[in-house]
Amino acid sequence: MDYTGLFELAWIIPILPIISFLIVGFLGQKIKGRGGIIAVGLVAAAMVLSLTIAYAALTGGLPEQGYFEQSFNWVVLGSDFTIQMGIYIDAVTALMLIVVSFVATLVVIYSLGYMHDEGDRRRRYFTEISLFVGVMLGLVLANNFLELFIFWELVGLCSYLLIGFWFEKPSAASAAKKAFLVTRVGDVMFLIGLVIIFNLFHSTSYSTIFSPEEIAGVDQTWLMWGVFFMFGGAIGKSAQFPLHDWLPDAMEGPTTVSALIHAATMVKAGVYLVARMFPLLVHAENVMLLIAVIGGVTAFMAATMALNSPNIKRVLAYSTISQLGYMFLALGAGGYMFALGLEEGNEELMVAGSLGFAAGMFHLMNHAFFKALLFLSAGSVIHYVHTEEMAKMGGLRKHMKVTSLVMLIGSLSIAGIVPLSGFWSKDLILETVWEGRLDSIIFLGLYVLAVLTAFMTAFYMFRMWFLTFAGEEGEATKHAAAHHDEHHVDSHGSDEHDHKESHGHHEAPWVMLAPLIVLAILAIGSGFALFIGSGFTSVIYFEIPYTHDAGYWLEKFFWGESSFLTYISLAAAVLGIALAYFTFYKKRVDAPAIASKPAVKPLYNMLLKRYGFTKGYDYVGEKIVYGFSLALDWFDRKIIDGLVNGFSKLIQRSGAGLRRAQTGFVQTYAGVVAGGAVAMMLLLFFLLKLLGIEVHP
Amino acid sequence: MDATGIPLNWFLILSACLFVIGLAGVLIKRNAIVVLMSIELMLNAANINLVAFSVYNNDPTGQVLALFSIGLAAAEVAIGLAILLNLNRLRDTVDLNDLTILRW
Amino acid sequence: MMFENIPILTILLILPLLGGIIAFFMGERAKLAKMFALAVSAVTLIIATVLMFDFFGLGSGLFGNYQYVEDYTWVSQLGISYILGVDGISMPMVWLTALMSLVAILFSWDITNRTSQYMGLMLILEAGVLGVFMFLDYFLFYVFWEVVLIPMYFLIAIWGGPRRDYASIKFFIFTHVASLVMLLGIFALYFQAAGALGHSTFDMREIASVAGGFDIAFQTIVFGALLFGFITKMPMVPLHTWLPDAHVEAPTAGSVLLAALLLKMGSYGIIRIAMPTLPGAWDINAGAYVVAEFPGLTWMQVIMLTLGIVSMLYGAVMCLAQKDIKKMVAYSSISHMGGVMLAFATFTQIGLAAGVFMMFAHGLITGVLFMMCGVLQHKTGTRMIPRLGGLAAKMPKAATVMMIGFMASLGLPGLVGFVAELGIFTSTFVAFNWLLLLPIMSVALTAAYYIWAMQRVLFGPLTKDIDLEHLHDLSWYEAAPLYILVAFIVGFGLFPSLIMDYITPAVLKVLMGGF
Repeated sequence: MDYTGLFELAWIIPILPIISFLIVGFLGQKIKGRGGIIAVGLVAAAMVLSLTIAYAALTGGLPEQGYFEQSFNWVVLGSDFTIQMGIYIDAVTALMLIVVSFVATLVVIYSLGYMHDEGDRRRRYFTEISLFVGVMLGLVLANNFLELFIFWELVGLCSYLLIGFWFEKPSAASAAKKAFLVTRVGDVMFLIGLVIIFNLFHSTSYSTIFSPEEIAGVDQTWLMWGVFFMFGGAIGKSAQFPLHDWLPDAMEGPTTVSALIHAATMVKAGVYLVARMFPLLVHAENVMLLIAVIGGVTAFMAATMALNSPNIKRVLAYSTISQLGYMFLALGAGGYMFALGLEEGNEELMVAGSLGFAAGMFHLMNHAFFKALLFLSAGSVIHYVHTEEMAKMGGLRKHMKVTSLVMLIGSLSIAGIVPLSGFWSKDLILETVWEGRLDSIIFLGLYVLAVLTAFMTAFYMFRMWFLTFAGEEGEATKHAAAHHDEHHVDSHGSDEHDHKESHGHHEAPWVMLAPLIVLAILAIGSGFALFIGSGFTSVIYFEIPYTHDAGYWLEKFFWGESSFLTYISLAAAVLGIALAYFTFYKKRVDAPAIASKPAVKPLYNMLLKRYGFTKGYDYVGEKIVYGFSLALDWFDRKIIDGLVNGFSKLIQRSGAGLRRAQTGFVQTYAGVVAGGAVAMMLLLFFLLKLLGIEVHP
Repeated sequence: MDATGIPLNWFLILSACLFVIGLAGVLIKRNAIVVLMSIELMLNAANINLVAFSVYNNDPTGQVLALFSIGLAAAEVAIGLAILLNLNRLRDTVDLNDLTILRW
Repeated sequence: MMFENIPILTILLILPLLGGIIAFFMGERAKLAKMFALAVSAVTLIIATVLMFDFFGLGSGLFGNYQYVEDYTWVSQLGISYILGVDGISMPMVWLTALMSLVAILFSWDITNRTSQYMGLMLILEAGVLGVFMFLDYFLFYVFWEVVLIPMYFLIAIWGGPRRDYASIKFFIFTHVASLVMLLGIFALYFQAAGALGHSTFDMREIASVAGGFDIAFQTIVFGALLFGFITKMPMVPLHTWLPDAHVEAPTAGSVLLAALLLKMGSYGIIRIAMPTLPGAWDINAGAYVVAEFPGLTWMQVIMLTLGIVSMLYGAVMCLAQKDIKKMVAYSSISHMGGVMLAFATFTQIGLAAGVFMMFAHGLITGVLFMMCGVLQHKTGTRMIPRLGGLAAKMPKAATVMMIGFMASLGLPGLVGFVAELGIFTSTFVAFNWLLLLPIMSVALTAAYYIWAMQRVLFGPLTKDIDLEHLHDLSWYEAAPLYILVAFIVGFGLFPSLIMDYITPAVLKVLMGGF
């Protein structure tokens, strides 16, 4: 069936939330609820259109060449340099459209409840979040890297604004600044790469620069540097080592923002960028290796930091960084194999490589759902207890049955327990990395790191769950319960409060619960996309089309040649959960005692200090850069301006000296005039003599 | 040697002496009126030169110029005296040593 | 072409000039003078806008040529003529001048001291800048170049801050000395061209037609002299120290015009006069002096790109250290004009186009930034960043506008500065490859000082150092010009081709050595 007419409407998708941005931004103050309903409506409309188009694209509706493209010249910078704006739809775009629009809609709905108490500030919230959704959708629909960069910067702006939503808190203002500046460092790299690519191809359109003839026609070294620098942008945006430290701070924003921007969508932009660059990256296997190493190291490092974090949102933030690292690891490992296969003409290696690509994108989708779920659940908890410190929570299961259940589902999913969604994609990633060991021994190390990460993930997620929902009731729990009971009695009989009896009367209102339930279903089920039709990996492919049915996958996972990998990772996850269970629920292991042992204490503190990165960033910013600027300021004032003022002083001084000639005595002047006249005459006389000139009368 | 029988140099020496006397008066005298008078001496020294050369060269232009110069001297004295009168009225002095307000 | 028989450029020039003189002598009738000045500048803007649309209607093939040319001989013995004309480079500048003058006059609505003289000087300043952008005769170009100095000097010296004497004299001496060096260059050209042509003329076009054939050493020296005059005006490090002082002391509207228009005269001079007239100084193909170690790079290019990169980074680092927000914005101007210089130094079409676009974009943006400094000064009584804080809570409109201004200045896509920056960096890479790594650091530094300033001024807890009783949001005469500028910043940011389409054909002509 021909869907061209439908695809041509794709430009409307980002426009819809932007209309909401304009309406709420300009008129929000006059609207009841400060524009929340408008935002929900238009974002949902964008979702409907996105899902329709994604469905069409994923079920074979795309044109022959595998993508749909539409563009116009935005600005002509010179005869060789034209910047286009356009729409590019292929399977990857479709996947991102689903993820972004779906999660965005749920989060905006959830926000109606979560931000309910913010009063007039809701207008700003819904304005900014509408803008974010619009530009994020624009980012995934872009048809060239420059357009992508434009939206890339704009989502960064929205992230900045929303992290600093409670700007009067110094910590929020500072976190927003940090997020903007650290990602800006990545963006500078991105810009360098972009300029290199732009100059190489005189275009940044995907359809142009991905064609093998074009790639073959350019300098491969420059190409390598170009994609290397562009990957730098991905490091910043997706909070990878060494630019990862902004994401934990970004938790200063509202939890909905953390869920949408800093877990499900914007931070995925880096992964998306790498996926987009894949056709270029496969010509630079060194960069692929770098991507894999950075991914693996980040995944491990972030997971360690999550182990002892006292703050529920921080745990999730570290976990996000770690999971993003997984995605990069998958893309890098797959890409590396693909690059080698491409070089050697080894079809088998290329297939294995494209599986890595698919695994990365698959994990991106699954992670978006379960991490949004986890964040929103955490938000619901914070909404209730008004604290983010897990030590003050505890025992919340009785008060928040639904939340505790959906959070448990999310935790199981991220831990990788079969058959929840996280299991499938994480396992595919581990398999890809394991495959890679044949080509580079580095991947063996990365595999070990990844399995350890899986173990730690299971441990810290369940540590979080047990600390929050199980055990003794913490002070914040008691306080909140008492407060809410009182509140409930007060409002008894009135129906404006959406507390459903079946959820226990301490639960969040239904606008918050409904998205949680939908996401929980997805956290369980989105992994089965592997089995639908000809399977996820057959659609999200890169160049090599192949189809596998459910039987193939089940064999591969559970009784095939490489099924031992599945059992290793499952064992890691179960071990992690068990350890958390015995430590934080049964208290068989005395965690504080271990933490205070002299051998462990420094490590424990180092993790709390995030390996010193926070200090390191501050040092670079405050001491090196600011110190240098102060020194330069001194130089400017004292040396450069000193020279200027010194010169003017010199002239003033000499003037002051010379004016002594003005004695004010008329007769002195007359004497000087007379003397001068005589002197001139004598001078003339002798000069003429000297030159031998005779003057005749 | 011309009609008068007196050599030109004598006239020139006379006018030079007159000029130097005038100049000395201008430079040395403290009284502004005496200075003004000394200026007259210097002008007249120039006039003598003009007339002498005029006769010597048999060219009347010099005598015409001398007449102009006399007229100019008269005007100058008129204005100069007026200034001095005003000065005297304002500052109660015509001593040049006291008139140094333009000093740096 | 609508204005075939109308001397439209003369009207555009005379209107503010006459209006300025009339307003100057209005004496005590302050209200009338304000209304009159506003009306005159509004009519000027309308004419400029109509002209711009009409110009666009000519088709892009003609953007490289001078249109609406008026050519009258004035003093034939000396070869002085009255020649006006606009092309794709000057047209956006002319429009920018008309726009910025209008908003600056509107923003000065609360002026109470010698209002009519103030308004008169503003209009005369507008006329001066318009003259610089439109005259094609060196004599009148130079006259108007100097005419601009005088109203600006008085604006600083009479309506300025506490150190206004120092600042205004410094401003005057710097720019005046620089323009004298430029005048020497012009005279050298004039006499040399008179020899080549057989008659004396100040006509830029005629001189350019023969100047390319002059001795390379002569061309290089004259280019250097002109460049000296222009970079002092832009200004480039190390001739920049007059700018922060002038800005700190100038009244807000004066600062707006100084940064938005006067600085542009410098870069405009480079691309309008120095480059097309003297290709032998920079163009390898014309035989310019080449650096021995880097064939493909001329000495003039090296000088210009060094000036550009140093100014970009120097200005950006200086911004970080500033406590006075207006001084920070002033240094950011140096940084951005450094970008213009760097773009010009590439001598590529994309570079020149990006440079001219940056001039236009910076004009709009810097207007907003200086006005915001003025707003802070008026409302809080101080511009010192450490004494401010948390203003977003009390002044949401001002905070939004300030944020848009800052974001535009740091090159956020979707706002007008982005395309210019992208073009500058692309051209730098095209011309100098890895040298790109130096100037591009300014992107991060720029973000750093703006974001940090924003954090300290707008966010965080509300400051206790200022009188909060009288802290109000924007007044109407502040809001109106700011909103106008913000609208254009967003509009041209979303549709940069509206301006870029004028520029690209015109700069191509410059590169080809055509005048």
